[in-house]
Amino acid sequence: MNKQDLFMRFVLGGTAVSLSYIITVFSPWKILAGIFAAFPAVMLTAIIMVGIASGTKKATNIAKGSVYGMIGGIVCVTTVLLSLKETENWILSISTGLVLWLLSSIAISNLKDRAGRKALGHIKKIGNFQ
Amino acid sequence: MIHLSVIALLIRFLLGGVAVVACTIVAKKSGEKVGGIFAAFPAVYLAALLTIGIDFHGGKLVSQSIILSKGAFFGMAINIFVAILAGWLLPKIGWKKGIINAMVCWFIVSIVVVYVTTYLH
Repeated sequence: MNKQDLFMRFVLGGTAVSLSYIITVFSPWKILAGIFAAFPAVMLTAIIMVGIASGTKKATNIAKGSVYGMIGGIVCVTTVLLSLKETENWILSISTGLVLWLLSSIAISNLKDRAGRKALGHIKKIGNFQ
Repeated sequence: MIHLSVIALLIRFLLGGVAVVACTIVAKKSGEKVGGIFAAFPAVYLAALLTIGIDFHGGKLVSQSIILSKGAFFGMAINIFVAILAGWLLPKIGWKKGIINAMVCWFIVSIVVVYVTTYLH
């Protein structure tokens, strides 16, 4: 595994969490800390690394693919938020958020596969007619 | 009023970095499907949430986590928009300019969201 890639991810991930802490302490806009906590560090490093190694086309695929991941992220955050408001139990809320993140990610991944197979079937049908 | 502690900052930096690196390794070691799922693990958000647990306890911990999660909800929504934008922008102007423009948009949209949610509430 590329050490430079891992180092960059480490620095970006660490910076994003540190920044959200500094903002929590100093900024009057509390919501800004949360926005920094959702900083797309994983997407950013992935695009930069794939861009350097394989060019624009593959980097674009990473960007398009990460849309699905972000939907999983929003499910996780919404679950934690609602659970915190309902139960006020911190550990239970984070655990529920993680479980629903995993379930929604698997569901999104399956839907993506099904859509991909449908598109492939459609192309084959067109091929048979020609 | 809390004060900025260097040790707390260091713990956050390490936890954030390790979380992102760990999910990258899991993503690369597992198969394509599981890898794709773990590549999108909300590592930074969870690391930020866990580190709140260092400073706060009880009701204050819950209320601070709610504030962070509200922000992260908007953050994730902005990310969906930025990812769609990047997918459209990258093939047009190349990956380098594309990702810089997408990140500038991320920052501007974030500031607008902060302004709208803070002042026009």
